Amino acid sequence: MPERAASERTSERTIRVQYYALLREQAGRSDETLTTAALNPRELYVELQARYPFTLPPEMLRVAINAEFGEWSQALKAGDAVVFIPPVAGG
Amino acid sequence: MNAFRFSTVGLDTAALQREMRDESCGGFASFEGWVRNHNEGHAVTRLEYEAYAELAEKEGARIVEEARTRFGVTRAACVHRVGSLALGDVAVWVGVSAAHRDEAFRACRFIIDEVKHRVPIWKKEHYVNGDSGWVNCERCALPAAHTHEHTHEPHHHVETPTPDYSRQIALREVGVEGQARLRSASVLVVGAGGLGVPVLQYLAGAGVGRLGIIDADRLEPSNLHRQTWYALAECGQEKSSLAATRVRALNPEVRVESHALRLDAHNAERLCAGHDLILDCSDNFATKFLLNDLALRTGKPVLFASVYQYEGQLQLVRGDNATACLRCVWPEATRDGLVGNCAEAGVLGPVPGVFGSLQALEALKLLLGLPGLKPDEMLIFDLITLNTQRLRARRAPGCDAHRRATSSASAAAPPDLELQFGSLAEAQADGFAFVDVRDSREREAEPLPGESLHLPMSKLLTDAGNLDLAGRYLLICATGKRSSAAAALLRSHGFADCRSLRGGLKSLKASA
Repeated sequence: MPERAASERTSERTIRVQYYALLREQAGRSDETLTTAALNPRELYVELQARYPFTLPPEMLRVAINAEFGEWSQALKAGDAVVFIPPVAGG
Repeated sequence: MNAFRFSTVGLDTAALQREMRDESCGGFASFEGWVRNHNEGHAVTRLEYEAYAELAEKEGARIVEEARTRFGVTRAACVHRVGSLALGDVAVWVGVSAAHRDEAFRACRFIIDEVKHRVPIWKKEHYVNGDSGWVNCERCALPAAHTHEHTHEPHHHVETPTPDYSRQIALREVGVEGQARLRSASVLVVGAGGLGVPVLQYLAGAGVGRLGIIDADRLEPSNLHRQTWYALAECGQEKSSLAATRVRALNPEVRVESHALRLDAHNAERLCAGHDLILDCSDNFATKFLLNDLALRTGKPVLFASVYQYEGQLQLVRGDNATACLRCVWPEATRDGLVGNCAEAGVLGPVPGVFGSLQALEALKLLLGLPGLKPDEMLIFDLITLNTQRLRARRAPGCDAHRRATSSASAAAPPDLELQFGSLAEAQADGFAFVDVRDSREREAEPLPGESLHLPMSKLLTDAGNLDLAGRYLLICATGKRSSAAAALLRSHGFADCRSLRGGLKSLKASA
């Protein structure tokens, strides 16, 4: 039905994603802008895991939304900048 | 005694030598300058020395201190005669004791050369024919031999250069006051590798008064692409001492101590005590979390840096209950081996160079009170895209490290520092082991009855020897002053059950 298709489209949003350290290596890129239906960073990460060979589970990472460390369950909105970042220890 | 002093009476060199005695020393070197019977073709009958005492004593003391830090010797002193001297009299005496002969010889030579060169002393020679004359101030007449050995060109003088901070003092935010702040600061650098090298270079260059260096590793050829301070020929040597040597060469004014060991739960508190700021330049999570927990326990700030391939992270942990710590940001599951270090993941040399430089910059700003990285944020810098981000990090309400730190901080208050006893037997019955903080001479002159550990103050300032963190110790000196300071120092290093005998041995004699 056309109504349903429209509502699905409106639930999709454009988000800027940045990858750091091992995630950057595995994604093969530092950042990208993508359109997603994911409601929160956890869903987004699961979606990305299907596309990239990410080996780290979310428990080993932190997510930052709009330059602030946030929660995996936090709601995403259009235009958000999401950073996936693991801890690093090199010196 | 003062390391450099003048004497108006003949020198008792045997007594001076005794002052240099130290059980940790394996070598003693001395130099004596004598009054000889001729100078530049004139027969000399006697001499008079005169000095601008105020200036000369300061400069002389500086020279002896420079020798101590530059060569790492244990004791050093110089005594110069003033007044009237006869032929054969000792005009100047230098004594140095050290663990090994080489540094003793070198420090001794350095002191006499520098004293001749830099200390304002004049001599008046009296000649056989009844004439007399003031001989040129020696500092102008004699260039320091170690800066250009065996040269006889009278007008080619090489000054020993001294550290000059004018280029940073010129900054309005630094100035003379800022420089004094840096000089009185003490910074511990944990790790002398890719991050530690630029950190140590810039902190030493800036004239930070005291630097501690911890690194358990030996230099390897694979380190050198990013640790460009070191030399290929030095591979196999301990990085901590290589770094210490370079700090001394760069700036002899910096007091530097190095520890070739790995920071662990047992030594962390002791090694961090006495430092104002700790810089984490390590390459593993175990050390980072250990330092984080220490920051929370002691309230001592730790500035963390970590790199990965082409990027890195910088975070300041204040150690208070209001701002984020490492564990507020990273999950407890963070462990070494999961996300890789330089060895596993690879790194481009300048990457730790950039982050070490940033760390040094933030450290200097912290010491100078300038704005910089805030405790509630993490700087991430991607050196591929050159994007920087400052991510806001909040104190996590459920942070375990914060909870542990606040619960142990409210634990038992420290017991009294000083205790009075009628006799040492009483103290022994109380379960105390004795630690004698007097120097060797005092100890020989008035030995303690029974068993005691000997840990003179000079040694204790840098090293707690074989003392056990859990031991029950009574520190003893002649009057109770030194032992009280020593007990306070040991307390700050985590020796909780450490007391001082109030009034020292003197009080026991009084009560006996």
